[in-house]
Amino acid sequence: MTAIRLTINGTQIADDVPARLSLADYLREPRNLTGTHLGCEHGVCGACTILVDGEPVRSCLTLAVACDGCQVRTIEGFGSDPVMTALREAFHRRHGLQCGFCTPAMLITAHDLIRRGRAASETEIRLGLAGNICRCTGYTNIVAAIAEAAVAAAKGPPDAE
Amino acid sequence: MPNEAWGIGASLLRREDERHLHGRGEFVPDIKLPGTREVAFVRSPHAHARIRGINVPSDAARRVFTAADLPRIKPIRVETQAPGTKAPLWPPLATDKVRYVGDAIAACLAPTRAEAEDLAALVSVDYEVLDAVVAAPRDMRGSRHPVHDGWGDNLFSERVFESGDIDAAAGAADITIQREYRMNRQSGAPLEGRAVLAYRDWRLDEIVVYASTQTPHTLRVALGEFLGLDLRRLRVVAPDVGGGFGPKARLYPEEIVLAALALELDHPIRWVEDRTEHLLTAAHTRDHHYKITAYADREGRILGLDAEIIVDAGAYGLWPQGPYQEAAMAARNLPGPYAITNYRCRASTVATNKAPLGPYRGVGRPGACFAIERTIDEVARALGRDPVDVRELNMVRPEQMPFTTVGGMRFDNGDYPQSVRLCAQLLDLPELRTRQRQGESDGRLIGTGFASFAEQTAHGAAEFVARGAAIVPGFESCTARILPDGSLVLMVGIQSHGQGLETALAQIAHHELGIDPVRIAVRHGDTESTAFGFGTFASRSMVMSGGAVARASRLLRDKLCQIGAHLLQCEVTAVRCADGVVQGPQGSVTIAEIAKIAHLRMDGLPPGVDPLLDATATYEPGIGTGVFSYATHGAVVAVDAETGSVELLDYAVAEDCGTMVNPMIVEGQIRGGVVQGIGTALYEEIPYDDHGQPLAGTLADYLLPGAAELPAIKIGHLHTPAIATEYGMKGMGEGGAVAPPAAIANAVRDALAAIGAEVNETPITPRRVVAAIKKARERSPQVRP
Repeated sequence: MTAIRLTINGTQIADDVPARLSLADYLREPRNLTGTHLGCEHGVCGACTILVDGEPVRSCLTLAVACDGCQVRTIEGFGSDPVMTALREAFHRRHGLQCGFCTPAMLITAHDLIRRGRAASETEIRLGLAGNICRCTGYTNIVAAIAEAAVAAAKGPPDAE
Repeated sequence: MPNEAWGIGASLLRREDERHLHGRGEFVPDIKLPGTREVAFVRSPHAHARIRGINVPSDAARRVFTAADLPRIKPIRVETQAPGTKAPLWPPLATDKVRYVGDAIAACLAPTRAEAEDLAALVSVDYEVLDAVVAAPRDMRGSRHPVHDGWGDNLFSERVFESGDIDAAAGAADITIQREYRMNRQSGAPLEGRAVLAYRDWRLDEIVVYASTQTPHTLRVALGEFLGLDLRRLRVVAPDVGGGFGPKARLYPEEIVLAALALELDHPIRWVEDRTEHLLTAAHTRDHHYKITAYADREGRILGLDAEIIVDAGAYGLWPQGPYQEAAMAARNLPGPYAITNYRCRASTVATNKAPLGPYRGVGRPGACFAIERTIDEVARALGRDPVDVRELNMVRPEQMPFTTVGGMRFDNGDYPQSVRLCAQLLDLPELRTRQRQGESDGRLIGTGFASFAEQTAHGAAEFVARGAAIVPGFESCTARILPDGSLVLMVGIQSHGQGLETALAQIAHHELGIDPVRIAVRHGDTESTAFGFGTFASRSMVMSGGAVARASRLLRDKLCQIGAHLLQCEVTAVRCADGVVQGPQGSVTIAEIAKIAHLRMDGLPPGVDPLLDATATYEPGIGTGVFSYATHGAVVAVDAETGSVELLDYAVAEDCGTMVNPMIVEGQIRGGVVQGIGTALYEEIPYDDHGQPLAGTLADYLLPGAAELPAIKIGHLHTPAIATEYGMKGMGEGGAVAPPAAIANAVRDALAAIGAEVNETPITPRRVVAAIKKARERSPQVRP
């Protein structure tokens, strides 16, 4: 077991973890943050995407011990973040989800695209989503929802971060 | 009147969204029970081998379970009344023989999955490796080591369908087109794999099984049968399910093993499939071989179709329907939406040393559509006619309906040729033809292709009895219960895993009762709270469960009116129930007030009327052979003749599914289906090598379509309400996935017309395109694009 200290969704945590434990398993099991999903455990499908120090990462390919000292943010940790609020509203209104399994990571990736100003066109959004598989929707409505949220975010108050 | 923003025809936003948007969905792997042990399976690395012995570490008693440790489990047995079929027994944990890579041998338990896998690695199995049967067409009549001992061959079933006079058609034909087609093996690949969590509830004396399944009620039936348990001792719950698409509508060995372990152990056990297990062992799909001979006159009218279909079904048949339906469905759908009069087809289902084949969106239809629609285009090309015109020429016309095809499908209604015209409009076909003649500045070749189909949906008892099915999923059920405050709970036997049925079924109850959808809960997926139902598959839930909701709601409405009339001091014929109230000539009373009386103040009930507002109804559509949705899909591709890469530039669907309860959800289902069909067309494949080793074990080798390589998908609707269903609904869940392989292959064929190349195998990979171009150029070296 290895001792780690990290911040998850704003809460400081000290814990002992096995060296081989992935961040995704750590978040899902001992921390019970089950909004982070596992679709392939090879870093391909993107369902486990979360933010580590503000950057999207595959939590299935990240070891928990490697996150000592890091800021981790999962779908449960966005509170009233205005971009995430706009995204949730747009995904709902544009029918951007069906079974919901890819949705939390899709939102986190979309949040990152909007934050970096990389959601200006359909092509840009589609390229930005290349690492997130959705098996249900065919993406059309996801792309439309992100475009809509990007516009709403540009008009609304700036991101608190 | 129901509120138009909420009732039938309204794109009501989904009730399901809120929890998923906040990461609060509850999938099986999200459920935590104290003391749970995780399960990892020891699986066969060989495609075909005898088991000489299984060596379990001496200190692993009660942590490693083989078939010998779980004697209660009976082998899976598929019953069928269809003649001439073979149905092998399938031990959920292998006993004497393994028959595909991934066949389960032992269950290993530990506090974490990683430790369970460590334990599994310590179990050694002594194998005598046998020759694997991997080439269905070659080995179907026999092989050195047949898949199943005692069979003279490797045939699950073989059947000849014949209608009309195929020899006369051959004699009368002006042209004959012969082709071979292949739709390769793939996975259903829902983003969430399978998962099972099981435990013993001592208080209720039952085994509780949480499973990622589309069919909780029939799973319970199966567990009862194969574990020898009364169903009153089994509860199955399908919580949120992360996509199903067909593979989760079947019984799996792991589900039986976990339930059996729950009987043995004093703690819960959980198995969460990883992606490699999914790609190796969850139901595979497609894997069809076709040989087609089409006879046509000089106009392009198809006079006869002579076909051979071979389905490579893998080692076993999945319960309940076995391996047979894939080939039979392909054979019956091969004549497509066309008025072909002469037909002969031999359909064979072959056992091989591969994972069992199961249903996947469209089942036998994408293969059949691929074969007939590619053939239609070749007939057109041979005659120098536009494939669009040849499609229309051969299609069943509206005035011919109802029409029974040579494949035995009874089309109910619709304007099939209009779907071809609408699809051509959506793509702006004349503009595309102009662009095609001018050529692309980047040198790529543009092509357009179409494919049409009619899809049997919501078929009832008549269809499944005709198939020889032992389980006949002919109806659905709903218990509608108004609670003391006037809110409504609909308890339904289906399972919703992305289809939005929690929303759409509430719309139907709103239509009938006028209750605000916010005050309606839809409960599904739990055998404890719902009456028996078959689950969600075969494009049936909206029609069948929706019909049951309508009927149960009307039973409640009658009782509400009876009580309401009494309260309003008028005749029951003078009141009507709408907008959440019972309205009489002199006033009205709310459903909430009536509900209070029916539960808390029975002294206000009319004489002879019982308390409670609770009704259970079942529903089967008026036609047991199904109501037919139909569509024409059109694809525009750009092909790079050097690299073989195919880019989809545009895609359109012109479809008719009758009355749409929630058009937003309908369009979501269509687009999702289309993209799965695009996966079949261009990306998804699980090849096996000569030793029966599967070559796609991760999503790095098994390609799923992503947002970056897809266009936005256009949809146009036609509206022909069904006659035999509530509100005129037709099922439509699968259709999107049926036509894309055919439409895209026809578009690639169109793009490569000048070269004379055609790709008749899916997925249409760059390698296959380059090979087809090379072959065409060797045949006629003078042609250069």
